[in-house]
Amino acid sequence: MSIALERPEPLRRSRGSLLAWNRFDYVMVLGTLGLVAFGLLLIYSGSRNVYDGPQFSLGNPVVQQGMFAVIGLVMMVIISRFDYHYLTHYWWVLYGASIVSLVGVYLFGQTEFGATRWFNVGPLQLQPSEFAKVAVIVTLAHFFHRWGGDARDIRAFLMSLLIVAPILGLVLIQPDLGTALIFAAIWLGVVVIAGVNQGHLMVLGALFIAILPFAWTFVVADYQVERVSILINPYADQEGLGAGYNPIQAEIAVGSGQLLGKGPGQGEQTQLDYLKVPTRDFIFSVLGEELGFVGAVTLLGLYLLVLMRGIRVAEVAGDAPGQLIAVGIVVMIAMQAFINIAVNLGIFPVTGLPLPFVSQGGSSLVSLFVSLGILQSVRMRNRAYRQY
Amino acid sequence: MTFFEGKPPPDPGPTRVRPHGNLAVLRIAIVVLFAIVVVRLADMQLVRGEDYAERARHNHIQSEQILPARGLIYDAQGRPLVENVGFYQATIVPELLPESEEDRRVLYQYLEELLDVPYLESYSAVVQAETEGTENQGIAIKANLSRDEALLLREVESDMPGISVTIQPGRNYVGGETFSPLLGYIGLPSAEEWPELRDEGYQFNQPVGKMGIELEYERLLRGEVGWSSNEVNAFGDVVNVLQTEEPEPGRSLRMSIDMDLQEYIAEALEEGMDDEATTAAAVVMDVETGAVRGIVSIPTWDNNMFSQADLYEEEIEALLDDPRRPLINRALNPAAPGSTFKLVTALAALEEGAITPNTTIEVDSMVRHFEGDDGVLWPLWDWAVHGTVDLHRAISVSSNHYFYMASCGLQDIPGSGLASNVHESAYRLRYYATRMGYGDQTGIDTGAEAAGIIPDPEWKRETFDDPMFNPEDREWYYGDTCWMGIGQGDVTATPMQVTQMTAAIANNGRLVRPRTVWEVLRPDGSVEHTYEPEWEDVPVSEENLHEVRQGMRRTITDEDGAGRRARVEGLEVAGKTGTAEFTHADGRELEHAWFTGYYPYSDPEVAVTVFFDIGVGGERAAPVAGQILEYYDELQGEPAVRGGDE
Repeated sequence: MSIALERPEPLRRSRGSLLAWNRFDYVMVLGTLGLVAFGLLLIYSGSRNVYDGPQFSLGNPVVQQGMFAVIGLVMMVIISRFDYHYLTHYWWVLYGASIVSLVGVYLFGQTEFGATRWFNVGPLQLQPSEFAKVAVIVTLAHFFHRWGGDARDIRAFLMSLLIVAPILGLVLIQPDLGTALIFAAIWLGVVVIAGVNQGHLMVLGALFIAILPFAWTFVVADYQVERVSILINPYADQEGLGAGYNPIQAEIAVGSGQLLGKGPGQGEQTQLDYLKVPTRDFIFSVLGEELGFVGAVTLLGLYLLVLMRGIRVAEVAGDAPGQLIAVGIVVMIAMQAFINIAVNLGIFPVTGLPLPFVSQGGSSLVSLFVSLGILQSVRMRNRAYRQY
Repeated sequence: MTFFEGKPPPDPGPTRVRPHGNLAVLRIAIVVLFAIVVVRLADMQLVRGEDYAERARHNHIQSEQILPARGLIYDAQGRPLVENVGFYQATIVPELLPESEEDRRVLYQYLEELLDVPYLESYSAVVQAETEGTENQGIAIKANLSRDEALLLREVESDMPGISVTIQPGRNYVGGETFSPLLGYIGLPSAEEWPELRDEGYQFNQPVGKMGIELEYERLLRGEVGWSSNEVNAFGDVVNVLQTEEPEPGRSLRMSIDMDLQEYIAEALEEGMDDEATTAAAVVMDVETGAVRGIVSIPTWDNNMFSQADLYEEEIEALLDDPRRPLINRALNPAAPGSTFKLVTALAALEEGAITPNTTIEVDSMVRHFEGDDGVLWPLWDWAVHGTVDLHRAISVSSNHYFYMASCGLQDIPGSGLASNVHESAYRLRYYATRMGYGDQTGIDTGAEAAGIIPDPEWKRETFDDPMFNPEDREWYYGDTCWMGIGQGDVTATPMQVTQMTAAIANNGRLVRPRTVWEVLRPDGSVEHTYEPEWEDVPVSEENLHEVRQGMRRTITDEDGAGRRARVEGLEVAGKTGTAEFTHADGRELEHAWFTGYYPYSDPEVAVTVFFDIGVGGERAAPVAGQILEYYDELQGEPAVRGGDE
C-alpha cells in the first residue's frame, strides 16, 4: 500500500487512439441516451406547472437537462480516453477527497428537507456523495487488486469494510439512507465478485440484523424512521399532506396509468400537482401515469440493456481492477434505479434518490456519464485487446 | 495494519488474475430486482389499475353545490317584502384541514378564541363529517358572523387551511315588523330536521323556512340546487369546470296583503291600546275570496333577528321573556269571543226554529235568577236594561238575556231554548259553530294557527276526566249552555275564525278559507299559478243570514247600538261587538274587546275583526275597526291584487 506519485506504467502503449473506438460500447451509450430521452419527455411533462417560459431558454428545465446530457456525453468520451489505471493509481487522492468533501458538506453544506447533502457552487449543486461513489468503487477495486483480486481472506474482507465504513458513516449522518444503501450495495457487489467467503458474509449479515434495532433507535434520523414506518402502512396517515402523502399519490399515479397511460402531459396526478417533485424523485410516477405499463416496461428494458452491457464490460475486463470497477458501477446504477422505482411503487421508503439518467439534475447526470466513461475506459482496454 | 498479522501481499502490478466471483450472480440479481419491479407494476397498473384510476379521479374531481336564489315575496301591490342577502359564515371543510390532530387542535382553539365556537363543537362536527364521508362539504361552524368577526377571520384565513369565511344566503325582511309572524324566517337545518331534509336533497348549508310563509311555501321558494363538477388541483384550487348544472331559482310569491294597510292597522291598534290593553290583533279579509288584506298582531317583533339569531341573542331572549309573549300571533290565537259569538247563536236558533226574527223578550232587569236542574240558583246577567228586544235589537245592543233565551232557554219563557234540553241545545249550537269554522283551524296558509274550543257535554267530560278534577266538574250544567250561547265559558276563538264567520254571513253562507298567498311567480316574474278561492257552505238559509246582517247593520246605525263607534261617514258598515269576560293570569277579572264587521252592508266586500286583550268591545275595538275600514276604502283607489277570481 505504498503511495506512489509517479505516473503509472501504461499497460501498453496503444497502437493509435483511433483504434480504440472500435471497442467503444455504442449500444450502451444508445441505451443511456434512450433513458435520457425518456427523462427529457417526463421532465417536460412534470415541469409544466412550474415552468411556463419559452421552450428554448436556459430557464427551461428540459433544455437544462439536455445541456447537462451533452456535457455528460463529452465528459464520458474524454474520460474513456484515459486509462482507468490512472484512477486506481491515484485511489488515495480520490478517497481522501471524498472524505474531506463529505466532512465539508456536513459542516458547511446546504440543508434542505432536513438533510445536508450538497454544496452550492455558483448555480451548480455539487453532491460529494456522487463523487464518493466512484471513489469508493475505485478504492475497493484497487484494494482487491493489491490483494490478488481476492476477498476470501478474512483480512481482505474486513479491510474492504473499513474502506467503506467511514464514507457510509458520513453519508448516514447527512442523513441519506438511500445513498448509504447504494454504498453498501456497491461494497456487497464488489466483494461477491471478488470471491468473498460466504461464511464471512453470513456472520456479517447476522451481526447487522442484531444491531439493526439499536441503529433504528439511535442512528437513523427521525425523518427516516417516519419514512420507513410510513411504508409499513402508508394509509395510516392518509388525512392530508402527511408524510404518507407522497408515496400514496405516487402509487395512485402509477396505478391509474394502467396499460397505456394517460398520454404525455395528460396525467392528472402530475398536472394537478398531486405528485410532489415530479421531475426528480417521483419522475417514475409521471412515467407510470402518462405512459402506462408499456412505457414503464420499456424504460426497464433500457436499464436492463445498459446494465447487461455493463456486466459484459466486467466480463471482458482486462484485469481485476477493471472488472471490479465495472461491477461497482453496474451495481451503483442498478441499485439507484431499483430503489427509486421501488419508492415510486410504494414498496420502499422514500429516500430521495434520483432515477439514473432520467431524473432532473445536472450533478447526478454528469457524474453518471463520468461513470459510464470509466466503464468505457475499461471496455476499451479489455482482455482481447490486452492479449496483443 | 498491525492488527492484521503479516503484510498485505505486494502490489502484483498489472495482472490478468481476475476475481473468483461469478458474474452470472450479478446478472441474476439484477434480473430478480427488475422482475420484482415488473410484477409490482403489473399488479398496480394492470390488475388494480381501475381502482387506482378511480382514486385518481376521486382525488381531483370535486362536486360543489350552487345554491339557488330563494324566491321573493311581494305584497299586493308588488312591493318586495324580503330581499336575498349574504351573511358571513365561518366554514370548515374537513378535507382541507391539516392532517395532524395537533395542528387541528390549534385551529379549533383559535376558532374558539376568535369566534367563541366551542372547541368540542368544531371537533365533533369534523369527526361526524368524516364518519359520514361528507368531508368535502363545508360545515357552517358559525353562521351570521358580525362584520368585525368576518374581517378578522378573513385576515387569518390563509393561515388556517380548511377554515374560511363564506357567504351564506340569507334574508332581509323589508316589509316591516307587521309581516314577521306571517313571513316567518329561514335558517340552517337543525339537527332534528337534517336527516329528513337531506333525504329531500337539501344541502347542509342551504337555509330552510322555519316558520310562516317561509315554512309553508318552502317547496316553492327553495328552488333547485345546482351542481358544478370541478377539477381541483392538490392545493384545492379549481383549475377546470367539467360540468355545471345551473341552479333553478325558487318561485316568488305574491300576497294579497297590502303593506300600507298592514302599517295602518298596526298604528291604529297601537293607538287604540291606550296603555290598558297589552296585546291586540286585527284581520281584514275579502269576504268573497278569503284573500287576507291585512293581518296584524301586536306587539310586533322583527323576524330579521331570527335570520341572524347568533347576533341577536339578547334581543331574542328578551322577546321570549316578554310577558306579552309577542311571538304568539294574536290573530291566530284563541280567546273567548264573547258577544261576537252571539251571531252563531242567532243563526242556530233561527235555523232550528227556536226563534224567529220577530221573537221578542223583555229585558227589564239586569239579572234573572233561574233554578238549575240541581236546584242551584243561577244569576243570569245582562249588561243593561234593554227593554223589549227583538232579534235585530238583540244583536244591536248585544242583549245577553235574548241569547240565553235562544240557546239554553229562559225558565220564564216556557219552551225557549235551542232544543228540548240544555245538553241537546249545546250539541246543536256546537254543530252550527263548527260549520261556521269554530273549533278547527281556518286553514290559513301562514301556519301556526290554533283551533280554539267549542265545548259540549262530551268535550267537558273528556277534558276534565282527570283525578285532579272533582266529578261534578265533568257535568254539563244549564249554565254551560248559557255561557256558550254568548261566547263565554269554555268557548274560545281566534280573530281569524271570527273574521271567517263574519265573511260567511256577509257573503251569504260560504265559509271561505283565508289565504294570504295568491300568485306563484316564475323567476322572470310571470305568473305560474294562481290559487283559487276555497269554501264550504254554511248550513244556514239566506233569509236567516239576511236577518242577522240587518241586526249587524243596526249595531252600527242604532243610536245606542253597541258598535256605533265603528260608524264611518259614507261607509255602510255592519258588525258586532264583543266584550268577553276572562280571568287574567294575575287573577284580575278583565274583558277582551272584540269587534267584527264588514262593509259595505249592501254589497259586502271585506270583513274586519279587531281584538284587544283588555277593553270593552264597543269602546276600544269598534272605533279601530271603523278606522281600518275607512283606510281600506281609501286604498281602493290604488291598484291591488284582489282575490284569485279576479
